[in-house]
Amino acid sequence: MEVRDKLNGIFHEVFKDDSIQIKPEMTANDVEGWDSFSHVTLIVAIETRFNIKFSLRETMSFKNVGDMMKCIERKITP
Amino acid sequence: MPFNSLQFPLFFIIVFFLYLALKHKWQNRLLLVASCVFYAAWDWRFLGLVFISITTDYLCSLKIHASDSEKIKKRFLILSILINLSILGFFKYFNFFSANFAHLINLFGFTVHPYVFKIILPIGISFYTFKTMSYTIDVYTGKTEPTSSYLDYALFVIFFPLLLAGPIMRAGDLLAQITSKRKLTLDKFYEGSYLIFWGLFQKVFVADNLARIADQVFNAPAPYNGAAVLLATYAFAFQIYCDFAGYSNMAMGIGKCLGFEITLNFNLPYFATNPQEFWQRWHISLSSWLRDYLYTPISFTLRRWGTWGIGCALMATFLLCGLWHGAGWTFILWGAYWGALIIIYSLLKPLLAKIPGPKNAFGQKLWLVVRVVFFFQLVCLGWLMFRAESMGQAFLMIKSILVCNMHMPGSIPGIAIKSLLLGLCFYILIEAYQYHKSDVMVIYKSHYLIKAVIYYIVFYLIILYGVLGAQEFIYIRF
Repeated sequence: MEVRDKLNGIFHEVFKDDSIQIKPEMTANDVEGWDSFSHVTLIVAIETRFNIKFSLRETMSFKNVGDMMKCIERKITP
Repeated sequence: MPFNSLQFPLFFIIVFFLYLALKHKWQNRLLLVASCVFYAAWDWRFLGLVFISITTDYLCSLKIHASDSEKIKKRFLILSILINLSILGFFKYFNFFSANFAHLINLFGFTVHPYVFKIILPIGISFYTFKTMSYTIDVYTGKTEPTSSYLDYALFVIFFPLLLAGPIMRAGDLLAQITSKRKLTLDKFYEGSYLIFWGLFQKVFVADNLARIADQVFNAPAPYNGAAVLLATYAFAFQIYCDFAGYSNMAMGIGKCLGFEITLNFNLPYFATNPQEFWQRWHISLSSWLRDYLYTPISFTLRRWGTWGIGCALMATFLLCGLWHGAGWTFILWGAYWGALIIIYSLLKPLLAKIPGPKNAFGQKLWLVVRVVFFFQLVCLGWLMFRAESMGQAFLMIKSILVCNMHMPGSIPGIAIKSLLLGLCFYILIEAYQYHKSDVMVIYKSHYLIKAVIYYIVFYLIILYGVLGAQEFIYIRF
């Protein structure tokens, strides 16, 4: 499964909305319920599902979903 | 030289006409010199302190950007944060911590006298320190490219409309506007003038008149009368809001006249129905700063603790938010109160979402009014703690409300209450209209006849009832 599809599934679960279609330019303003509380849940869910660990610097550098996807891809590429 | 003083218009007119005559690069140099003059008019001795922050963050961010080593990047980030927080800590918090530390030691039976310095708080220090720190952190995380121009960076930090009380704009937004050419249009000038005019009304009519009522009760010794405390708390709620929102609107307006887009700092906060929404509408630039640079790192570090981690991060953020407002226990209490409100709200949020609201349009509007009014009472309870001179006074005042002694004392004249109601009615009506249209600029965009009537009333109220003595803005003291 591609990173994008897997990440999309995580978004569906965390924000309880199956209609979300993630795009690279998407930000927290575009997703209902994506606030500073649910952001923590989202980060933990991504780390668990992809079996990766973000650094604080990485999470603070995310400007949109695209940055998030690139970071995940970098981490899972052997 | 506050915005509501008689010197400021003269200063601004001179700067504005020189600005119009210059090209982009020299406009920036002019604004830098004007900003230094503006700050020196308060206290020239602290200008050096601003430049210590500027130079530190300018050099540290260049070093961070130039280095490939994570270790070196981190080292310069820590250096920048340490220098900034040391300056802020010394000037703002030294005496507070020294006195409390001595008090703590004395509790164990020792006799220690606190070291206390005669420290004057440099104006705007909390605002420009946060601005410079966010720049270096953004360069470290890769969100912002550092500028190589020292003078442009200095202007970003010291830009006079935002220097004393924000909005705390980020480099990605303000620095980008400094380095690129700005467009001056007549529309922007009119819009800016409207914002200055409206901000002046909020400050000299609403805030400064209400200050008299709030001060009379809060500056008096105990015992307190419940009705007077309630009246003074409501008065203070609108005083602090109009004082700060007035300042922010004037800053926005001055920025617009110079071709800048300044971020909105207040978006009708008293129409919020829950604590999360309140902080999305109140002092937006500070709450987003605290979210990005304090809450995010703490909650990330504690992310494996689940709900507890989020709760701890929220409480720590709001305690520090309280402390940011001033070195005093009442501010810390206010921060703890907001932390508790937000934690309770985040726990109850799923349950609250299940409560069915009314189906018809009228019922929905009424339900919204009920929620707004209810939540406003919680906001006001926070303001009581914030404004109280001491923790003891805050508790005595809350007690006076709880025992329901609602007999209005003779010390507060009926005329004061009448003016409070009349002035506020007009103001609240305008805000309700702005909220209804979801646009804080709706009056400016209205038909010219509506505008003419409102401008006339505002002008009349400023001239006849405005407090025209250049009263200091509250937030400048933070």
